Amino acid sequence: MRENFRKELKDLKQSVLDIGRSIVDVTRLSVKALVDGDVDLAEQVIAGDDDLDQRCLAIEEHSLEVIATQFPVARDLRLLHSLGYISMHFERMGDLGVNIAKAARRTASRRGPQTLYDLIQAQGNLVHRVLEAMLEALEKNDLELARKLQDLDEPIDHLFKQFFRELARLQEEEDIEWASSMVLASRYLERIADHAVDIGDRITYMVTGQFEAPAEEEEA
Amino acid sequence: MSHTLAEHQPGFVPTADACVKIAVRGLDFFYGDFQALTDITCDIRDNSVTAFIGPSGCGKSTFLRCFNRMNDLIIGTKVEGLITLDGQDIYAPGVDPVDLRRRIGMIFQQPNPFPMSIYDNVAYGPRLHGMKKKADLDEVVETSLKRANLWKEVKDILGRGGLTLSGGQQQRLCIARVLAVQPDVLLMDEPCSAIDPTSVQKIEDLMAELKSTVTIIIVTHNMQQAARVSDETAFFLQEVMGEPAMLVEFGRTADIFTSPKDKRTEDYITGRFG
Repeated sequence: MRENFRKELKDLKQSVLDIGRSIVDVTRLSVKALVDGDVDLAEQVIAGDDDLDQRCLAIEEHSLEVIATQFPVARDLRLLHSLGYISMHFERMGDLGVNIAKAARRTASRRGPQTLYDLIQAQGNLVHRVLEAMLEALEKNDLELARKLQDLDEPIDHLFKQFFRELARLQEEEDIEWASSMVLASRYLERIADHAVDIGDRITYMVTGQFEAPAEEEEA
Repeated sequence: MSHTLAEHQPGFVPTADACVKIAVRGLDFFYGDFQALTDITCDIRDNSVTAFIGPSGCGKSTFLRCFNRMNDLIIGTKVEGLITLDGQDIYAPGVDPVDLRRRIGMIFQQPNPFPMSIYDNVAYGPRLHGMKKKADLDEVVETSLKRANLWKEVKDILGRGGLTLSGGQQQRLCIARVLAVQPDVLLMDEPCSAIDPTSVQKIEDLMAELKSTVTIIIVTHNMQQAARVSDETAFFLQEVMGEPAMLVEFGRTADIFTSPKDKRTEDYITGRFG
């Protein structure tokens, strides 16, 4: 029944997953650009942002069209609405990734203490893990994994605080623009993971039809 | 659908709940040896629109016709269980089906005005119930046509035949005819299946207006219509051919169409079967 409609839903979800895959890349490459001081790589990430925005917008438009023409209900409606919502998150996550790349561009001319790069890289690796888990939960409608994202996010918040403390300790030796760019990059990474956790809540709703109370967000 | 054994005892009347217009407990319905409906229990809320949905042959129209005892007219049918209107058993001995049908009016898929004038169509019921004065009849005709949102279109042609109106107008004339005897409940059996989209819109608007004074139950094959017009939705299903149909899920329309609890409801409304 409604084979075309089913195919359309499947394709739309695949497009969202593809954008999610790009978000993983943007995040990974922007952290690499920051840690390696690679301006060319940073420019490459920044240049890709418009395309990402367009793809996210296309998802929102397409979901609306399907809602308007196919009158989806129940799980189909929840899926469509959630895909629109998730693509909005992806768009913001992409922006945050670009912000990290811009921080990479600003900080590349100066090499700071290795500890800080190590911390950023460690944070980037954890964010990568959250993003992979989020994408898998979305692809497989995996409720258990979606609910686990919150736990995976916790060490990232801790690393941000640690990064902040470490930087404060070294502050006197570092110039302020460099230091603030680095702390912002760490903050952006932490925000990317927060978006992934929000998407996890949305996946839970998509699957169960119930909104679960979001966990209290800890202020950094 | 859970209900206690006590509710099956003869003479049991469900707790008087001001919000419940019609209460159904453990209803079984038979056409001869064939059981069409099994063990239906639900409450129809006062001043609301309740939609019955389900695939063809799932018994929703049969169930609807239990409320005004229309099935009594079919030889060999049998009802077991309980249906109450304002707490009174409508199948109790002594209940006059004709009086019941005044309180519970019905609109059918095909508009069926009588072959008489618009005025006489609406005045028919009140006359039957003894209203004779022309001034009274004039008033009830005008009020009923206004309530059915038809007055403006026909006020100057009341003497013209009801069958000269368009399909959508005829359906609203039938609604006016039912409203003229001041029913408590309006049963609508696919009232919009045979009329044009503009008239459908008018009838849907009308339902929203009427529900402040009349409890409405609508059988519809159009799920978007059920979603648009109703406050509560009941999903019926005959799972196995030859077996009786049942009430699978009953709940707030907004819940049924966003997060139905039963997988069968979900599969039906999302078009996975039916």
